[in-house]
Amino acid sequence: MKQRKKWMPVLASLVLAGSLTACSGGSEAEQPQTPSAEPKSENVYKEKYDPEVTISTVWGIDPTLQYKNGETIENNVATKWAKEKMGINIKTLWSITDTNGAFGTKLRLSMSSGQDMPDIVTLGNENNQLAQDLIDSGMFADAGALFDQYASDNWKKAMDLDPGVWNQYTRDGKRMGIPVLDYAYNHDYVLWIRQDWLDKLGMSAPKTMDDLEKVMDAFRNQNPSGLAPDKVTPLSIGFKTSMNTWMADPSWIFGAYGTLPQQWNEGADGSLEYGSVNPAMKEGLLKLKEWLEKGYIPKEAALWDENKTAEPAVAGTAGIIPGPYWMSGWPLSDTVKNDPDAVWKPIPIPVGPDGTAMRHGTHYTNGVTLINKDMEHPEAFFTYQNYLFDNYASAGPGSEFENGLFEGYDYQLDENGKMIPNDEIDGGFVNALRYLLVRDGARIPDAQMKALMKLADGAEPESRLEKEVAVNYGKDTPEAAKVLLSQEEISKKNLFTGPTTETMKSKWDYLTKIENQIMNEIIYGKQPVDAFDTFVQTWTAGGGEQITKEVNEWYQSVK
Amino acid sequence: MKRMKKTWPFHVMLLPAVICLFLFSYLPMGGIIMAFQNYKPWLGLSGSEWVGLDNFRYLFERQDSMQVILNTLVIAVLKIVFNLLIPFGFAILLNEVRKTAVKGTIQTLVYLPHFLSWVILGGILIEMLAVDGFANRILGMFGVDPIFFLGDNNWFRFTVIISDVWKEFGYNTIVFLAALAGVNPTLYEAAEMDGASRFRQTLHITIPSMLPITVVVGTLALGNVLNAGFDQIFNLYNPLVYEKGDIIDTFVYRTAIINGEMGFGTAIGLFKSVISMILILVSYRMAYKWAGYRIF
Repeated sequence: MKQRKKWMPVLASLVLAGSLTACSGGSEAEQPQTPSAEPKSENVYKEKYDPEVTISTVWGIDPTLQYKNGETIENNVATKWAKEKMGINIKTLWSITDTNGAFGTKLRLSMSSGQDMPDIVTLGNENNQLAQDLIDSGMFADAGALFDQYASDNWKKAMDLDPGVWNQYTRDGKRMGIPVLDYAYNHDYVLWIRQDWLDKLGMSAPKTMDDLEKVMDAFRNQNPSGLAPDKVTPLSIGFKTSMNTWMADPSWIFGAYGTLPQQWNEGADGSLEYGSVNPAMKEGLLKLKEWLEKGYIPKEAALWDENKTAEPAVAGTAGIIPGPYWMSGWPLSDTVKNDPDAVWKPIPIPVGPDGTAMRHGTHYTNGVTLINKDMEHPEAFFTYQNYLFDNYASAGPGSEFENGLFEGYDYQLDENGKMIPNDEIDGGFVNALRYLLVRDGARIPDAQMKALMKLADGAEPESRLEKEVAVNYGKDTPEAAKVLLSQEEISKKNLFTGPTTETMKSKWDYLTKIENQIMNEIIYGKQPVDAFDTFVQTWTAGGGEQITKEVNEWYQSVK
Repeated sequence: MKRMKKTWPFHVMLLPAVICLFLFSYLPMGGIIMAFQNYKPWLGLSGSEWVGLDNFRYLFERQDSMQVILNTLVIAVLKIVFNLLIPFGFAILLNEVRKTAVKGTIQTLVYLPHFLSWVILGGILIEMLAVDGFANRILGMFGVDPIFFLGDNNWFRFTVIISDVWKEFGYNTIVFLAALAGVNPTLYEAAEMDGASRFRQTLHITIPSMLPITVVVGTLALGNVLNAGFDQIFNLYNPLVYEKGDIIDTFVYRTAIINGEMGFGTAIGLFKSVISMILILVSYRMAYKWAGYRIF
């Protein structure tokens, strides 16, 4: 006993010391940057900075991103390029693998705990709420003014394709974030149909809703692959999460009758109205109800999300699936593994009884870049982005980026100078675009469609984008793009892109809930279709009217 | 004081644990004040606007709040009851199995689903319970019309509770089996001498000796009376069953996480904790009074 007592205090103090150091570990604060004493010259914008300037940023790393040659997100071919080419040091404050929204969470936490904010941060649409909060926090600069001052003509031209892209980041007329441009029409629909089934039945592609019903009936009851009627999904759609999403939703069915649910459309008087409360919804709901009863759409459509709807399509038991033009690459290219005869073809959206067709349109932006108001050299960010817009975005033959960003990373040429498919690159394909400050580098919204149209007409790929599309996209993609653009005017974008309004904050969840509930219940025959009118009354009285007013006030302010 | 002299090293060794407990369990409780604020992260706790009980008022003003609270209570209470009764009975039955190998195998098998995540099980259940899925095909053999288990308000709660019991009953079975192993064998010997049948032995020895542990398990479970199981409901529910299936946690998820209304989320969380604490205290009192059992 006596002996034991001797070491006891020693052990105790060790434990204590250990816990104390553990506690102090996290409190080491980031050293604040000393403001430069240099006086600002008239023209601070340069092609190359000497002495070098630093841009700090934070990274949400795409979980599928690969590295090669011992590189990391802090130090890689793209950071070296920025340093050598433009004298810009990219400094990483922190980085995190972005699974389950980890990037948004970490950024939100670092905002709440008052840590240093990066000079430049890019947030995708999935973090839009956070982007809005960051803008409201007042920590970021009036990016629009900087953009006007420093952005290159190419970039400005791309931005001008849709002046509405600034809307959701605008506060009191100030553009507080730079929208990240994306390719247009990425999530606009075409219908993908089993051409081999149509051929065997001797039918042609449906042009109207009535045609569509005949085709679905034939797919189900005289299935060309010999499937029993209850094994066929003539039209694979689902609406577990929303009636209006990026793949296999029913929004275009309502569109045939003149409204698009769950988005804000321009009404006859030029003001915005919420699509789900438009009386035209009733006809769409009745159609869906009828189709459900006849077995044209999955019995469990209410339980199916986007990925689930792809399952019967890939299994070869679905006849039609609505979706974006790039679907022949994924997931439809897998169908032949299950049904060797399967041929998917894109067709236009069928029109309703009075010739109307509508589908939801995609905004030209998929996120926002924020510029810290304490950033020392905001012009450096524009040097970086301008370079990409001028040299990468529309890189033609002979340009520095004519084949891609960095050879051996995102492209490789064989001995004849031809581009080889991504999965054959030595040491593996690395999406070096993810190393850039803005996640897709630089995209001009209409460039991809232009490239696809050119390829659809049988031209040889020349520019970087054309080569990329030709090598890596499904073979039906150019054709689908052509089908898509043949109906260019039917794409309707959600016209409300502003920040959440005051009444939305307290009422929107409840309104969405009753909306989803009533629509599903009508489709499943648990409520008569007249319940829709009661819903519209409840919706209007329960805050919908006020929200519509607020939305229109916003709309007037940006018009 | 004299005792302290001898035992102080123990107290010092306890210190790190106490500090950690304070840091991670008590300090964050300061965040409760968010429930009374219109909390904005960049303004912080000190800078956010005070709104008094507004967040709580929202909760009770929503037309569906009562329905949501009721759903939560019904689902949670039924889960607690069945998660006590079924393992209780199952443990007694399993205890009668004499072959250790068989017993061990069954025990492991029923315990296994406990380790599966609801994300995975959700996917499996949606397939199995589909209108043309496995479950309905079996029922079809007996001439039962297909049941829309996950899309019918009359069946949704049933499906949720049965699937939860199936997933979790192995866990409590192990607790009860441990209690059974501790029953004094001399009691059974004495009963046998008196000519008691196996059934009588179970009724008068096994069940009474399991009561204390049942009370403990039951009391602890009561703390979950407002937790109807977020992961499970979230993976299985859909707009068709909002009426019977929407619970407090899915509601908080949609408002606080999706729409970023931190203050409102905290208010609901606080409301839940207060109710749960009252229930634990009441049940603890009752357990003490009727079963003579103290946990703390």
